[in-house]
Amino acid sequence: MVKKIGSWNLRSLLFILPVIVVLIFLDFYPIAYSIYMSFTNFGEFHFFNYSFIGLENYIRIIRSGFLWQLLWQNAIYAFGSVALFAPLGFIIALVMNQRGLRGKTFYRTAILFPWAYPAFITILIWQGMLDYRFGIINELLEKIGIKPIYWLGTPGTAMLSIILVNLWLSFPYYSYVFTSAMQSIPTELYEAAEMDGYGPLGRLKNIIMPMLSRQIAFVVIFGFIFTWNNFYIPFLLTGGGPGTSTQILITYSYSSAFSYLQFGIGAAYSVISILVLLVVVIIANHYSKMMTVLY
Amino acid sequence: MKNDKGKYYRRIRMAKRIVSHLFLILIVIFSIFPIYYVLLMSLSPLSNLSQMSVEKLIPNLTYLTTGNYAAILYHYPFLTWLKNTLIFSASATFFGVLLAISSGLALSRMNIPLRKVILYMMLILSLFPFVIMVIPFYFMFSELGLVNSYTGLIIAYSAGAVIFASWLIKNYVEMIPKDFEEAAQIDGYTKTGALFRVVLPIAKPVVIFALVLSFMGPYTDYALAGQLLTNPNMYTMAIGMYYVSQGTVSMNYGTYSAFAVLMGIPIFLLFFAFQRYLVSGFSIAMYK
Repeated sequence: MVKKIGSWNLRSLLFILPVIVVLIFLDFYPIAYSIYMSFTNFGEFHFFNYSFIGLENYIRIIRSGFLWQLLWQNAIYAFGSVALFAPLGFIIALVMNQRGLRGKTFYRTAILFPWAYPAFITILIWQGMLDYRFGIINELLEKIGIKPIYWLGTPGTAMLSIILVNLWLSFPYYSYVFTSAMQSIPTELYEAAEMDGYGPLGRLKNIIMPMLSRQIAFVVIFGFIFTWNNFYIPFLLTGGGPGTSTQILITYSYSSAFSYLQFGIGAAYSVISILVLLVVVIIANHYSKMMTVLY
Repeated sequence: MKNDKGKYYRRIRMAKRIVSHLFLILIVIFSIFPIYYVLLMSLSPLSNLSQMSVEKLIPNLTYLTTGNYAAILYHYPFLTWLKNTLIFSASATFFGVLLAISSGLALSRMNIPLRKVILYMMLILSLFPFVIMVIPFYFMFSELGLVNSYTGLIIAYSAGAVIFASWLIKNYVEMIPKDFEEAAQIDGYTKTGALFRVVLPIAKPVVIFALVLSFMGPYTDYALAGQLLTNPNMYTMAIGMYYVSQGTVSMNYGTYSAFAVLMGIPIFLLFFAFQRYLVSGFSIAMYK
């Protein structure tokens, strides 16, 4: 180790220096600044003369009881999304992985559409399609005799809409990941299993699942981490509403800061959101050693 | 008896095929529908959503019009928004990926002091969403007088791109056997020369992936741009689209759809052009 440290030179330092500068000034400093702000009364009434108030923001947040509502909604959003898009991606991969299935290229290309179109725009398109009175989804439902649904208008259906839109946005990626993982299983294994008399379900249980368990765990954990702070779906689709029923920590942090001008409180919510994720990462790392990608 | 069994299996296989195709067709309809819908709306004369109906989902050639595209191009500041978006996205992509190439190569091939510490920090930071940075950036840039400026946002977006892109490039370069550079060094290249002339071209897929990802961030960012840009001449397409969706700027639904198509189609085409790089790029990001 000592030898290695001795052998680095000015040139390699020059290569990495710009990124270290970015890390310090544009990542660590702002994060530290955010944490510091969360301990101050930085807000509308104390814009330039804010003072250090210790844990008061955090105590207020916990006492308000609203934190538990946000954590609950955030958990439903993240778990609900992963619970839909990971299995759908897996099933699509299984179906596409059948030998001799025609039209694979067509299906594969068509499935890419939601991934290829910028999410920012498609979320807003969905917002129009889910409109209660004039949206095309309700019009289509009416044609098949289903009464119009208040998609974005009641708390339960608004959360459901967010999760469904997230399903639409995310399943292409997961079906791709699972397809390429399944293709990495040697075909001899399938053939051997067939010889041994395993049916499709037996092959799924005895070959595909054990071979892919590591990737499945990885995908689920990363899907959760990514969704936990995925800001734009609630922000654009419902704006956190109706009321605050679809706010998650990160969207509420944003509205606290920029709509209610309570920057200290907003910063505190974003710190909490990251703390939750860090706990998840540490637990996940304990079980699946994600960090081994480093070596 | 044997023949019957064969028939039975063939029937099962046939049924399985039919069910598979039906399932995949449903999935295809689900994926394509919103894009088809917005494309059709952009070509229909619709003043608002209430004029939409199921019948209009079947295109009628006598009814279709390009008027919405003319409206978004000539009656709204779309071209200004487009110009600003391209300035932000292209500059941030350029600086972000340039830095990422240098640090990605260094982290994978050079002896860097505290290499492991830097890598852990980058990995942890890549879990932080960009939105978390909006509150501190807002005040940092206000103090530095970088509100309503190109510089401020370009710095922020470049920083947003560089961590993940470095990580990707580092992961990819580590998979390239060292033999290539060693051979190049025997041929007279310096170590740095070999990295840039020999290793970097092999890493083209991941560099393209990093370029596309870095471009996408600023292209569709509202969270930061919406707070740092208050001068309408500086607005980007994402800000424009957000204000229309909120009703702050009123626009015909058809025109809004044309806006959504004009903003989305370039990225859509870019994605398909680089599809094979993108798909392999994502798996590099996930596992090594």
